Amino acid sequence: MRHADTICGALLAALGCALIVSGAAFPAAAGGLPGAGFFPQAIGTLMAVLASALLLRGLRGRSEGPFSIGNMREVAVTAALLMAYLLLWGSGWFVVRTAVFLAIMLSLLGQRWIPAFGYASALAVLVYLAFDVGLNVTLE
Amino acid sequence: MAEILAGLSAVLAWPVLGFLAIGVCLGAVFGALPGLTATMGVALLTPLTFWVSPEQGLAMLLGIYCGTIPSGGIPAILINVPGTPASIAASWDGYALTRKGQAGLALGINALASTTGQLTSIAFLAFLAFPIASFALRFGPAEYFGLTLLGVSLMAGVSGGHVLKGVLAGTLGLALALVGLDPMTAYPRYTFGMSEFLDGISFVPVMIGLFGLGEVLVQISDRQSAQVSAAAAIGRVLPRIADAKRMARATFSGAAVGTMVGAIPAAGGDIGAVIAWEQARRTSSDGDSFGKGSLSGLAASCSACNAAIGGGMTTMLTLGIPGDAVSAILIGALLIHGIQPGPLLFANNQAFVFSIVFLMIFASLLIMVIGILGAKPLAKVLSIPAPWLWAGIIVFGTVGAYALNNAVTDVWAMYAAGVAGFLFRKTQIPLGPLVLGLILGPLMESNLRRALILSRGDWWAMLTRPILLVFLAATLLSLLWPLVRARRGRAKRSQDTIPDA
Repeated sequence: MRHADTICGALLAALGCALIVSGAAFPAAAGGLPGAGFFPQAIGTLMAVLASALLLRGLRGRSEGPFSIGNMREVAVTAALLMAYLLLWGSGWFVVRTAVFLAIMLSLLGQRWIPAFGYASALAVLVYLAFDVGLNVTLE
Repeated sequence: MAEILAGLSAVLAWPVLGFLAIGVCLGAVFGALPGLTATMGVALLTPLTFWVSPEQGLAMLLGIYCGTIPSGGIPAILINVPGTPASIAASWDGYALTRKGQAGLALGINALASTTGQLTSIAFLAFLAFPIASFALRFGPAEYFGLTLLGVSLMAGVSGGHVLKGVLAGTLGLALALVGLDPMTAYPRYTFGMSEFLDGISFVPVMIGLFGLGEVLVQISDRQSAQVSAAAAIGRVLPRIADAKRMARATFSGAAVGTMVGAIPAAGGDIGAVIAWEQARRTSSDGDSFGKGSLSGLAASCSACNAAIGGGMTTMLTLGIPGDAVSAILIGALLIHGIQPGPLLFANNQAFVFSIVFLMIFASLLIMVIGILGAKPLAKVLSIPAPWLWAGIIVFGTVGAYALNNAVTDVWAMYAAGVAGFLFRKTQIPLGPLVLGLILGPLMESNLRRALILSRGDWWAMLTRPILLVFLAATLLSLLWPLVRARRGRAKRSQDTIPDA
């Protein structure tokens, strides 16, 4: 947790500073009114201050509780599958694509292949009927 | 009295009640599927009402509206994925109850409190329409800024003991809300030259990702399925009399807050529910249990987000001003049927106004019956093997996010938010404040800058507005309250749970 707080604090502090710097480059408004950069700078300042406090807390080792990333391999595989599914979005064959994606995901999560494929196919058809046919959302 | 009876007799016809029932059932489906909103449902079905009488058409549209919001709480409670933005606060206590094996009770409270909220706001509509609407009309940019500032100040309150991280998450939400065209000058900010970002980041895909995909990834990583363990104990559906009495105050105060917030144009049930939840937490003697499965917390949020329907309808019918996107579509539907919302509607066609009141009452009662009878069957979703449930959440979430604007960028936003939601949960960063910042950020910025233009850049001139002063005082109280509680020694930091984790 200590490292998590430190990393989060550092990243958000950097983001806050980036907002402050980038906000200064936005055009100012006339007549003393706040321009396009006012809010980015205000939010950036607040974020930088709060994130610095979190960073300090992390560095001092005042953790808030146990932290475990858990079963990282399955999360990474699921995320990679999602990425592949999204990259293939719009390439047609929605039902087939979705059924295959879900079946692979389910089998990697320990489900037996045949029931997984049956369920994935049914789910893909249901979603297609509900959204594409029923609501006219173009999924292909 | 004659108008009331005329309104009732117009509604008590089988075709009208049939259209109402169809609308409520469709609304229940739209609300239960993340990504499908009340706006989408009403917009899609408005053309179908052109061929029927105004009462029949309006019955279906109001049925959808009144059915969508309560059913949005169902996925929020069962799988921690809010069906609509208004249901975000319902997931904080509702999902915690599910994890305790009380999914049935949570769904029952959702049904009862939602109907109570809707009926209370309908009573306001029937008896106090004009005072509420005229109060809402006194809101200028300065008052809107005050309201949004109050909303933002609640970030600490909805952080569940992780105040620093919660406020940081809120500022991250505010920062994400900066993406897109500057509201006053249309100068592109943080769009990186991509036209898809000109409209900003839509919060519905972010919400689906944070709460839905993020939850799935956490469960995969932990490989302990909260659903499976809870499935064996769905529990009772209706609360005990003693529990109902304890919830009554939170329910009705939530309804009052939701009605008032809903009556203010552009401030909907999502804001109302968060304010009501936080207000109930502060005034409750058991405030520490909020976010960990508090019945009162769930009742307050469900009641408030549903009461916003009546509040929005009040402003729409009395002044002809749409409070939100659904109201705007409803005005269009009424105009097509030759009915002009506004003060003259109350003067010239009172019977029609009472028809609307009765339609909303029947819709509320119907969704309550559906909610209570359907609670146990719906809770059976928890007995589905966890990986199958995860697959359903992922595919419905993905397609739901895409369906909003037919845009793949929304799906990218959802997936990115899902990964962020996973990391946030693992590092105990509360998610509620982030969504709050994303929703309130644009409203706060545009209204502050409009108010300053009206006051010619004079910050002090804004402070002459009494409603703004009330909001500023409430904001100050909201920020100081945790310190006061800490000083009294009543605040207990909750290290083990956070509202949305």
